[in-house]
Amino acid sequence: MEHIMTITHPYQWLTVVWWLLIGFFLMLYIILDGSDLGAGIFSLFDSNSNERGAIMASMAGTWDANETWLVVAGGSIFGTFPLAYGSLFHYLMIPLMVTLWGIIVRAVSLEFHHHAKRSTKLWDWGFGIGSLVTAFSAGVCLGATMQGFSLSSGPVPTFNGGAMDFLTPFSFWTGVTAVIAAALAGGVYLRARFDRDTVIYRKAMVWTDRMFYLALIAIMGTVVWTFFKFPWAMSKWIGPYWWAFILTGAIVVFAAWEMRRASRQQRDMAAMLWLGLIVVLNFGAMMATLYPWFVPGTLTIYDAANPSNSLTAFALAMTGFVPVMLAYNFYQAWVFRARLAEFSAYGH
Amino acid sequence: MTDPTLMLDLARLDFAWITTMHIIYPPLTIGLAAFLFYSEVKWLRTNNDEWYRLTRFFEKLFVINFGAGVATGITMEMSFGILFGPFSQAAGPFFGNILGYETITAFMYEAGFIGLMIFGWGKISKKMHLFATFNVAFSSMLSAMWILVANSWMQTPTGVHLENGLFLVDSWKAAILNPNFLTGFPHMAIASFEIGLFFVAGVSAWMVFKNRNGKMFMRTLTASLMALVIVAPLQIYVGDELGRTVAEHDPAALAAMEGHWHTYNKDGTPNTSWNVIAWPNEAKGTNDFQIGIPHMLSLLEDHKWVSTVKGLEEFKIEDRPPVLLPFYAFRIMVAAGGLLMLIAFWALYLKYRGQFTAEGLQRRPWFLRLVIFSAILPYIAIWTGWWTREVARQPWIVHGLMRTSEGVSQMSITAEIVWFVGFVVFDLLVWVGAWYFFAKVVRHGPDMQAEVVHQSENIPVGSLMTDKIDHHETILIRPTA
Ligand code: HDD
Ligand code: HEM
Ligand code: HEM
Repeated sequence: MEHIMTITHPYQWLTVVWWLLIGFFLMLYIILDGSDLGAGIFSLFDSNSNERGAIMASMAGTWDANETWLVVAGGSIFGTFPLAYGSLFHYLMIPLMVTLWGIIVRAVSLEFHHHAKRSTKLWDWGFGIGSLVTAFSAGVCLGATMQGFSLSSGPVPTFNGGAMDFLTPFSFWTGVTAVIAAALAGGVYLRARFDRDTVIYRKAMVWTDRMFYLALIAIMGTVVWTFFKFPWAMSKWIGPYWWAFILTGAIVVFAAWEMRRASRQQRDMAAMLWLGLIVVLNFGAMMATLYPWFVPGTLTIYDAANPSNSLTAFALAMTGFVPVMLAYNFYQAWVFRARLAEFSAYGH
Repeated sequence: MTDPTLMLDLARLDFAWITTMHIIYPPLTIGLAAFLFYSEVKWLRTNNDEWYRLTRFFEKLFVINFGAGVATGITMEMSFGILFGPFSQAAGPFFGNILGYETITAFMYEAGFIGLMIFGWGKISKKMHLFATFNVAFSSMLSAMWILVANSWMQTPTGVHLENGLFLVDSWKAAILNPNFLTGFPHMAIASFEIGLFFVAGVSAWMVFKNRNGKMFMRTLTASLMALVIVAPLQIYVGDELGRTVAEHDPAALAAMEGHWHTYNKDGTPNTSWNVIAWPNEAKGTNDFQIGIPHMLSLLEDHKWVSTVKGLEEFKIEDRPPVLLPFYAFRIMVAAGGLLMLIAFWALYLKYRGQFTAEGLQRRPWFLRLVIFSAILPYIAIWTGWWTREVARQPWIVHGLMRTSEGVSQMSITAEIVWFVGFVVFDLLVWVGAWYFFAKVVRHGPDMQAEVVHQSENIPVGSLMTDKIDHHETILIRPTA
């Protein structure tokens, strides 16, 4: 791995910038699609077919863009950290495969539901189960990445472990946590999308109340488990910057409390923003804990990075697009921002 | 269970299946998006409601296809790393960059406008809507361009050198504008237009055939078939250029596509025969039987009466691609291309004779039936074209530089089989679903009652009112108690 280090040396800052940017894409994905996935999980517990249809219709104009952030993150990892892409994805074969199946089922259910008449039930379930599976297996991927994996030696080290290496109690737990967190986000999202006098709004209110506590327990559990399981995390959290982590933790608790208050007072947009802040803080803390690892104990971001000239090319070619991409996505979301009272599916 | 050849072949099969099930959607997306832009412009120019209804009708088909493309496409993005990890690592500095460019400049670009295009009717101004449609068409073409950059570089990897197991880029320009790209991309772009136009033609012909809004659908039938009069021959011309590019840069692939084993005949003269049909025998290194046309091969590849075209015998056995599949796949594609051109010319002839009207064509049901069924031909051409291309590149994953066996992830056979079975099930679900709903939308026909969305100003921004205006069924969500 020596040569890769020397090649990238002068470009270390670019590596860091791209790592942050990919983290940003992933975070956007978690925030945006997390709500959509959570709404899907919610729909599993809502047996009214009209309401399920309404939930799907509420994301008709935006789900594709939200999901595409995952593709952007994946593509950018391939572009900027090919050594991680080639080994990490191979290691994650099974959970990624299951995630993809979930995404496929969910995407077609969203599209086909509009056109179906007799088969709407099938697509309702497809949407719900697809969402659940996607959230769970994506959570497993995250936990499995934190565990690291075994690499071969040689100039370009590749994954040389077994297909089931990813599965441990910890990665299973992160999958569960992801489902609960998404479920909370989904409830908050639905409340912001529907008129206050709709049935969905009421159901989502009860739902967010319950999910709030579940999510609190799940996230606490993950933090504690991470602390005791991973030396790299423990050493960071009790290292010289311990106060920053404590501070972040404190702000998260405060934001959670504010979210709860906003939610109780039916300030739904505010609740959504507080939840967003919580994700941002958690994700930021996770990135800070990880640094300089891309995959803890396995690849640092410098090992995994693209050789210098490619990274520069990628940066020059792409950084200008990021704000533009954000701008038109924001515009699209803005057009579809209003609350829904009544609406229609493409019937017939 | 570790059998390296079986493992490799399974990984190839896994990858081949998912690409095969993805490639049937994006080209139609590209072609149909361009067509939607055309018909929307027509509507705004002529102010004729029929163009509006046609646009909305084909847009429904577009949406189904788009959803299927996204569902199968996300798999593609992830599967390079999963199935071909070492290849992804080695080629990452170039190949990964290009796919990264694609996601940022094309997918995200497209995703940012597609919602506006489909659900924005009446919520944004007409101009803004047209702009959204334009961007969808443009960005989907950009996506095809980047994908073709990546794939054609695997065919003719210029502008890089291999160092410590990584492909490092010496010249971005040379690597992006590699020889195969310069003809491969136009060929793919035209294929996309061709599939889009034949799709529109097929659906329109069915409507005329059933005489359901026959007059209205004559507009799209005429527009698409007349465009094909230019597009279909152009595709054959560009295909020929592509074949010559392959002949120049990857003679082994060309020889496999043509089932061409011997450079010279037994009497020492150049073997210029082009095989129409043949049964290749790879073990013996010759064809068991063949029917060929003398001089055709030289004419096709060199545009000369007599020239030498390298036969497979000149390559080491371990460097020879499989022959049977590229040979027949290539012929099927060419036949499909030829047929499509003939159909377009027939349409031109009918138009010239003044018989290209709804009544005129209804008196010629065979022509309409032919157009309906020929909509399947571009699909077949696209499949067989890619199979030719990918299989004839073997045994290389990056031609001349990296073997497929060096690029494959070391996976367990069980995992590969699980993958295959899973994606067969899910991709078939997508495929069957997509065609079922295509059929349903077509049977239902265009919505002729809905009011045309004229004044965006009157409609409250941000409500999902469009469909109400369209008189689609409306679900009321109100408190039950
Ligand atoms: C509507 C679709 C369609 C039609 C009618 C044709 N093709 Fe094609 N062809 C494709 C769609 C396609 C494709 C699927 O788009 C491919 C695969 C990769 C590519 O760049 O284009 C392709 C590949 C491809 C290749 C392989 C290149 C390689 O190995 O790199 C050659 C030589 C041709 N084509 C030549 C032709 C000729 C001579 C045609 C004349 C009838 C023709 N194609 C019709
Ligand atoms: C084998 C390599 C390929 C990969 C890795 C790949 C990747 C993807 C991905 C990830 C998506 C979904 C993006 C989204 O969320 O919107 C997608 C859709 C798409 N792909 Fe592919 N693709 C491949 C082949 C192709 C080819 C050969 C073309 C063009 C000829 C193409 C053109 C498109 C287009 C236009 C879309 C947009 C969705 C649609 O229009 O259906 N792709 N692809
Ligand atoms: C979408 C249309 C495509 C189809 C139908 C297709 C088909 C195939 C097939 C049949 C194989 C197996 C060939 C063999 O093993 O003998 C294959 C392999 C492969 N293709 Fe494609 N392909 C397509 C597009 C692409 C694109 C756009 C790329 C790159 C951007 C690509 C990259 C690969 C790679 C990396 C392999 C694996 C290595 C190999 O077996 O050659 N393919 N594809």
